[in-house]
Amino acid sequence: MTATKLTLSGLVLAGILLLPLFFSSQYVIHMVTLMLLWSFVATAWALMARFGIVSLGHGVFLGMGAYIPALLFNFYGLSPWIGMLIGIVAAAVLAVILGYPCFRFKVIGDYFALVTLAVAEVGSLVIVALRDQTGGSLGLTINNSTRPFLDFQFSDKRVYYYLATAFLLLGLYIWRRIDKSKVRLALTAIGESELAASSLGVNVINYKLLVTVISAMLTSMGGVLYAQYVTYINPETVSGVGVSLSVCFKAILGGMFDILGPFVGTSIMVLLEEYIRISLGSKYVGLSEVIFGLALLLLIIFLPKGIVGSITALIQKGYQVERGSK
Amino acid sequence: MLAVDSVDVFYGEFRALEQVTIRVERQQTVIVVGPNGAGKSTLLRGICGLLKAREGTVHFRDQRIDTLPAHTVAELGIALVPEGGRVFPYLSVEDNLKIGSYIKRARKHAQESFNTIYELFPILAQRRRQMAGSLSGGERQMLAIARSLMSKPDLILLDEPSLGLAPLVVDLVFEFIKKMKEEGYAILLVEQNANKALQVADYAYLLESGKLVFEGNREQFDRNPYIKTAYLGL
Amino acid sequence: MVEQITMAFINGILLGGVLALLAFGLNLIFGVVKIIHMAYGQFVMLGFYLIYSFHATMGVPLPAAMALGVLSMAILGIFTQLLLIRPLLKAPRLNQLLALASLIIVVENVAMMIWGADYRGIPLALPIIQVGEVFIRSSYLMAFVGAIVVLGLLYVFLNRTYLGLAIRAVAQDLEMAQGMGINPATVYYVTLAAGGALTGIVAAFFVPIYTVHPHFGSSFTIMAFVIVVLGGMGNLLGGFISAFIIGVATSITAVVYSTEVADILALVVFVLVMLIRPQGLLGVRA
Repeated sequence: MTATKLTLSGLVLAGILLLPLFFSSQYVIHMVTLMLLWSFVATAWALMARFGIVSLGHGVFLGMGAYIPALLFNFYGLSPWIGMLIGIVAAAVLAVILGYPCFRFKVIGDYFALVTLAVAEVGSLVIVALRDQTGGSLGLTINNSTRPFLDFQFSDKRVYYYLATAFLLLGLYIWRRIDKSKVRLALTAIGESELAASSLGVNVINYKLLVTVISAMLTSMGGVLYAQYVTYINPETVSGVGVSLSVCFKAILGGMFDILGPFVGTSIMVLLEEYIRISLGSKYVGLSEVIFGLALLLLIIFLPKGIVGSITALIQKGYQVERGSK
Repeated sequence: MLAVDSVDVFYGEFRALEQVTIRVERQQTVIVVGPNGAGKSTLLRGICGLLKAREGTVHFRDQRIDTLPAHTVAELGIALVPEGGRVFPYLSVEDNLKIGSYIKRARKHAQESFNTIYELFPILAQRRRQMAGSLSGGERQMLAIARSLMSKPDLILLDEPSLGLAPLVVDLVFEFIKKMKEEGYAILLVEQNANKALQVADYAYLLESGKLVFEGNREQFDRNPYIKTAYLGL
Repeated sequence: MVEQITMAFINGILLGGVLALLAFGLNLIFGVVKIIHMAYGQFVMLGFYLIYSFHATMGVPLPAAMALGVLSMAILGIFTQLLLIRPLLKAPRLNQLLALASLIIVVENVAMMIWGADYRGIPLALPIIQVGEVFIRSSYLMAFVGAIVVLGLLYVFLNRTYLGLAIRAVAQDLEMAQGMGINPATVYYVTLAAGGALTGIVAAFFVPIYTVHPHFGSSFTIMAFVIVVLGGMGNLLGGFISAFIIGVATSITAVVYSTEVADILALVVFVLVMLIRPQGLLGVRA
């Protein structure tokens, strides 16, 4: 991390932490909460994607995090804090069930991506099929609780705000820890040549599983937070192909190889989505998605490294030119 | 007919051909010999347009072709017989031949060409409906050569025709090349097997590590002591 | 129950014919361009909407509307090649996947914007044929016969014409095909136009059978995928056979359980095939 980057991040973090003290607008706090929450999910996704293990189906983990605690609470009164733990474990288990055969049988790259896509769709369809329990495509509202704090419900929205911040910091912390450990070396080697890596004794399957499970668990945590914050969930918003791709896009926009890339990308997308929603409203339902889809297409074609990635590359080139001319 | 002038071809930062200059005249058989990795295949690919030269030019009948895409070069009458008996594996022998006559000037004569080819290569006639991928190495090489003839070319580029083939089969292939020579085709042949190649050559070049180190006719090659020991095993 | 299953079986075969067309288009595109057209089902949906608009909104007689639909989708295929696939040919596979996946979102939402979320359809009263205890809808039968005819024509095209041969050559070895004088751009555009036209044709067959809505495409994209993977990606014959297998399997499952379970079954099959035998059950090339 360069000094400039560190300072900038520090300033942004300070800004985020102090914001609720200066802005009492519910709207602003809500928007930033969403930015932080989705940045967390995007970071979790990029955690594994940056090593070449690209999943187009993270919606299934998000959905598990959203629905499992919500259902356990609505039907059994089980505190969503405990539900969250169960959801995280369930996500981890699913990650292993999917990951192990894939990694073992060398289903990688775009074939892996397609499998995850299919799984996300299955997840979405299962939610709809179990409509008697889940409410199907009409969605599920989380019951009001009489014991707010214990049941992961807070009347003061700022608690969610700081929780989202904490989650994001956790995600970034884990990213850093991985970078500093041999996991990163192993996965980079694996990314370049699985064959070479495994002949050097690197347990390819275990490392890939490790990062996949971590990514799945963090994503499901994001699902829990989202569900508890918004208190209404349906298969469209927290599961399936659409939200999976949306998460990918947010991370890629900002640059999925950089620790702050997903945060930058998500923030931009969330703000843009909101702007379009306000200016065009429900007059043209679907227009914002069309604009996104097109913007993404253009992005993928012209700026495959994402915004942060491309800027970093430009800056590095600038350094080289300067040094060269001295 | 073919003029390659001071051509440099790069693979990324690696210079595979350096200042290579070659001439092939009408009805002439020119060979380029050299060890593995010398750049012989690269040269042929550069001529037919699959690779682009960074420096230098290639002219065919006074027309500049190094800037043209590969399919246009094929239309002009240059046919490449790739190395290793490379054919379309999941097309039948007949379809492989048919695609050889894809270019406009060859299409009208396709039926005629088929007849000629089947006469010259009875094995191919026998196996015409078979999947090309199931042919033996020698048969595939024959098919590759036959296919190039279907396009009624003016210049045939042969990439290591003896590669991977048993000696008897190699003899057959070179018999065939002699026949093509007699028919009046201009041929540019690259080969590791210098002995065989020199038997059909009107003129020869020696390529080592991307550079031309010697050129001359058969006698000059035969007499050169370095070549004799290094390439002719004498 | 037995009659229901028998009917489901027959319907599965009949629809299998149309699914075979869908799989053909996807396989053709993948075989030539080596990129998976992730939004293929959505293109069918678009074709349907266009036919609907030409006929119900602009009053064009139905057969002409269908022809126009096919033509429009062929043109769309050409634009897809020009604007989307051509810049992506050298890109990493992931980017190609993502770009085409975003096409899904664009097409579905454009449909939503233009035609709204309601179901749209063209009501046609077509006779029902009775054979013994079994009722067959003539719309299904026509779709099946039509699909087989189109597939036959495609077979002739690919095997007997120079252009068809060129397409197969490019699919097998692009470099060598270029050496034969084949212009890759021509082949790409023709392939994408044909792929597009096929979505229009499938849409035309679907008009008497279904009503369309913006998420109509996803089941077909999923099914097309499952079929193509089962038969081996790029394998035209494999796709043909798998189409009938999947057609029958989903049809019977839908009758015995529900359509959702049928979709889930299809997806589970997909995942299993990918894990166990990614070259497809048939693994044979056509």
